[in-house]
Amino acid sequence: MSDYTIIGKRMPRVDSRAKVMGKARFTADLKLPGMLVGKIKRSPYAHARILNIDTSKAEALPGVKAVVTGKDTEGVKWGVFSYTRDQQFIQMEKARYIGDEVAGVAAVDEETALEALDLIEVEYEELPAVFESMEAMASQTEPIHEDFPNNINVHVNIETGEVDENFKRAHYVREDTFTAPEDSYFMAEPYAVVAKFDYDGCLEVWCPNGGPHMKSKPLSNAFKIPLHQVKIRKIAIGGAFGGRSEICPADYICALLAKKSDKPVKIEFTREENSIATRQGHAMITTHKTGVDKEGRVLARETTCYLDGGAYVSTGPIAVSVPFLSMEQVYRMESVRYNGYSLYTNKPIRGMIRTHGRCFAAGLDTQLDMIAEHLGIDPVEMRLRNVRKPGEYTNTKSLVGSCAMDETIHKAVVTSGFKDKWGKLPPFHGIGMGTNAVQVGFPMGIRGGSQSFIKFNEDGEATVMSGVVDNGQGNDNMLVQIAAEELGLLPEDIHLVSADTETTSSDPGSYSQVSTFVGGQAVQIAAKNCKQKLFEVAAKVLKVKADTLVAKNRLIFVKDTPEKSISIKKVVRISLTNFNSVNAEGGYWPKVDMKREWVSNPYGQMCEAFSFGTTIVEVKVDPETGQVEVLNATACQDVGKALNPLVLEGQFEGSIAMGGQGGMLTEYHEWKDGRCLNPTMLDYKVPLACDMPTIKNIIVESIEPLGPYGAKEAGMSIAMSAAQGYAAAVSNAIGVYMDSFPLTPDKILAAIKEKKSRPQNKES
Amino acid sequence: MEKIKITLTINDKLREVNVAPNDTLLEVLREKFDLTGSKESCGEGVCGSCTIQMDGKPVRSCLTLALEADGCTIKTVEGLANGDQLSDLQESFINHGAVQCGFCTPGMLISADALLQNNPKPDEKTVRKALAGNICRCTGYAKIVDAVCHAGSPDNQCPDCKTGQ
Repeated sequence: MSDYTIIGKRMPRVDSRAKVMGKARFTADLKLPGMLVGKIKRSPYAHARILNIDTSKAEALPGVKAVVTGKDTEGVKWGVFSYTRDQQFIQMEKARYIGDEVAGVAAVDEETALEALDLIEVEYEELPAVFESMEAMASQTEPIHEDFPNNINVHVNIETGEVDENFKRAHYVREDTFTAPEDSYFMAEPYAVVAKFDYDGCLEVWCPNGGPHMKSKPLSNAFKIPLHQVKIRKIAIGGAFGGRSEICPADYICALLAKKSDKPVKIEFTREENSIATRQGHAMITTHKTGVDKEGRVLARETTCYLDGGAYVSTGPIAVSVPFLSMEQVYRMESVRYNGYSLYTNKPIRGMIRTHGRCFAAGLDTQLDMIAEHLGIDPVEMRLRNVRKPGEYTNTKSLVGSCAMDETIHKAVVTSGFKDKWGKLPPFHGIGMGTNAVQVGFPMGIRGGSQSFIKFNEDGEATVMSGVVDNGQGNDNMLVQIAAEELGLLPEDIHLVSADTETTSSDPGSYSQVSTFVGGQAVQIAAKNCKQKLFEVAAKVLKVKADTLVAKNRLIFVKDTPEKSISIKKVVRISLTNFNSVNAEGGYWPKVDMKREWVSNPYGQMCEAFSFGTTIVEVKVDPETGQVEVLNATACQDVGKALNPLVLEGQFEGSIAMGGQGGMLTEYHEWKDGRCLNPTMLDYKVPLACDMPTIKNIIVESIEPLGPYGAKEAGMSIAMSAAQGYAAAVSNAIGVYMDSFPLTPDKILAAIKEKKSRPQNKES
Repeated sequence: MEKIKITLTINDKLREVNVAPNDTLLEVLREKFDLTGSKESCGEGVCGSCTIQMDGKPVRSCLTLALEADGCTIKTVEGLANGDQLSDLQESFINHGAVQCGFCTPGMLISADALLQNNPKPDEKTVRKALAGNICRCTGYAKIVDAVCHAGSPDNQCPDCKTGQ
C-alpha cells in the first residue's frame, strides 16, 4: 500500500456539487449589464471571391449597435506555426468553405441581430471548388490558397532504417488502403463566447477553451495589444475533446464587436454552427505496406496518408504526424518510411478529435490481423511479437521509459476471455483487439511548461494558482488532489484559481495529454516548495530537523513520533507573525528535444512518457440488417499511476463511447458539394445510453519515474485502441477485413454479400 | 409581439410571467427566472439537455412553448435539492463519478428523477431506456447508469460499484 492519503483514492470530484445543482455557470449562462447579442454572417459558397460587402442597411436597422467586416480588422492571420498562418478571422478576399466568416453584427436582441445579418449584402464571384483530397491535388483550377499549388499544404516525410532492403528480405509483404470520412466532437455545450473591453483597453473573454493561454496570444496578436491586456476568464466548459484548443474566429469577432459597440457581446453558436464552424476530425486515406519475417515481426513498413485538411491548415503538421507517431510508439518496426500530406479542400477547418488518426490506427491493426492470419499466428501473439518494450527508442529517436504494453494485452486477454472465444464463436459473433500508444506531450516551445503559485492564508487553508484548464475531464480535481496531498491538507482546504490568464502563469493547456504530467507536476513542485517553508518553521517549534517532518490531515508531525505535532494553521500563523513567507512557486518543463520540428526535423526526444492501451471488444452482427450489437468491451491502459481511479474509469468509459462505439460504428459526416448534410444531433448519430455495452476497466500502473506520483495520462490510448478493437471485432464476426470506416450497416451488408458471392471462401 | 400572462409553479413556488407566444419554456426559465441549470444543446429536442418535469413528466423545454405550460407544475434541476441538502440522486451522481463536464447533467438528473418517482428500484436496462433521450459525450453513460441504479442505496448495498473504497 502506498503512503498517500488522497492520491490514488476514489475521490468524488470537487466540481460535481455545483454541476448537480445546476449552479455551474457555462458561457451561455453569463449575463453582463448592457450585453448585446452577436451573430456571424457566413459564406453560402464553398469557394468564392468577395467582391463587395455593403453593410449600410444593417447598420441603419434600429437596435444594431455594431457591424464588422474584414475592413475593421488589422488583417492578422492565424495559424499555430509561423508557416501555417493562413486564416483571417473575418475573410476579406475569399471565402473558402460554406460557413466561412465574412461579417459580424451586434444588436440589442437575437431577432434584430438575425435581421441585420440578412441586410448585409455580400457580392461574391463563385470559384471552382474541391472537396476531396485526391481531387484537390489533381485540381488545375485556382488553388484555395495562392501559395500552395495542387493544394498540398503540408508534407511530412519520415524515413528510418533500410526500408527498401528490408522489403526485399521480408518473408511476406502486403499493401492495403483504408479510408475514413470526417467525424465531429458534438460536445454537449455548443460554442459560446462573451467578450468585453474595459475603459483601460483590457479585453475580457469567457469561452470554452482547451487552454486559456492558447486563446490570449492570438487575440493579443489580432488586436495588437499586449498580452496582459487580454484576460481569458475561467468558466465551466462543456467538453472539448481537442476541438477547443485553438482560437475560434468567433472569439475575435465577438471581441471586435464589443470594441466597436463599447458593450459586452455574447455569441452563442447553434448546433449546426458548432459542427461546421468550430473544428472537425480529418477525412483520411491511408495506405500501409508492411513486410514481415516468418515470425510476423515487422521488418519494413511504408505508410502514405492523405488528410483532408479543410480550408485552413491550423495544426496541419501535427495532424499529419500524430497518426504516424501513435504507430511508431506502439509497434516496433525495423525500418519505416512515412509520407503524410495535408491537403486544402473547400470544407470546414479541422483539428484533433481526442487525438489524430483513429482510423489510421484501425487500418494498421486490421492489416496486422490479416498478416497474422496468413502466417497462422493468433492476434495476441502477433501483437506481443511487435509491441513496444520499455527502454527502447522509437523510430524517430524517442526513448520510451515506463511501458507496460505487454501487461495491458495479457490482462485484457484474460479478463475478456479472448483465448477461449477467438476463432470459436458462432457465425456473425466476433471478438477483436486493438493496441495503441499515445505521447504525453510534445515539444511545445514557449508554452511547453507550466508554473504554479501557492499561497497560504492565515486560517491554514491554501490558494493554488495554475494555468491548467478543466474541459470536463476532471483537471480541477486533479490539481486539488495533488495540492492537498503535498500540503498535508484536506481537499476542502484548497481553493483553486485556474485557467485565467490574468492570474495564472503560462501553461500548455489541456493539450496533447499534458495536464497532469506537466501542469499537475508544476502544482506538486510548488506545493513541495511551500511545505518546505512550513517545515522549517515547524522544525524550530518542535525542536527537530525539518527533514524528519511530514504533513497530513492539517498537521505537521515527526514521522517516527507522530505525537510530536503542530497544526498547519498554527505554523502559518507563526510564520506570518515572524515575517516569514508562506507562499511558493513551482514549475515543470519536460525535457524534450527542442530542435525536434514537425516538418524540418521530425527526430529527437518527443516527450517524457507514453501511455499504452489495449481494448478488446465482443460483438454480434445481424446479417440481415448489418446492425452491430456490442456485447462487452474491456479497456486496459498503462496510465503510469491512477491518481483517482473513479475519474480514470470515467475517462476509459467515455473513450470507449467516442473512440469505439461512435467513432467506429455510427459517427461520420456526409457531404454534398461541400455542404455538411448532417450537422445536427438528429442526423449525426452519437451513442446513447441504450447503445453502450458493459465496459470492464483494467488499470495498469507502470509508475513513470518522471511523472507526478508516477502518472502519465488517462484514457487517450483507450480512445485510440477502442477504434481498433471495434474494427477487429466486426471483421472477426463477418469474416471480412473491413477497409472503409466507420463500419456502418450498409458497408457491413455489402461485405457479407460480397463474401457470399466469392467461390470457396474459407476466411476466418 | 403581444405578451400574455401565464402562471407556473416552478420548484414549488407560484410564479406569474408575461410571455410572447413564440417564447419557449426553456427561454422563459433561463431568461426570466435565471434558472440557467437547464441547457440548450441541440435546440431540436434530441439531446435532452433542456429536460424539465412538467406535472411530473420529463419534457423537452426547448420544444415546449411557455404558453403550453400555463398552470403547470415545473421542476428544474434547481428544484432537486432541498436548500443545501442534495437529493439521494444528486449525491449518487457525485459519489459514482457520474459527472464530467456537467453540461448534460441537469437534464440527465431530471429524466432519472422522473423515472425513480415511478420506479424507485429500476434495473439497468430500464435505466438505460429511460435515459436514451439524454445525450452525454463524456462518460460513456456507465457511471450515470450506476448512479441511477444505486441512488439512495447505502454504499454497502452497492455491489456493482466501488464507491467509498
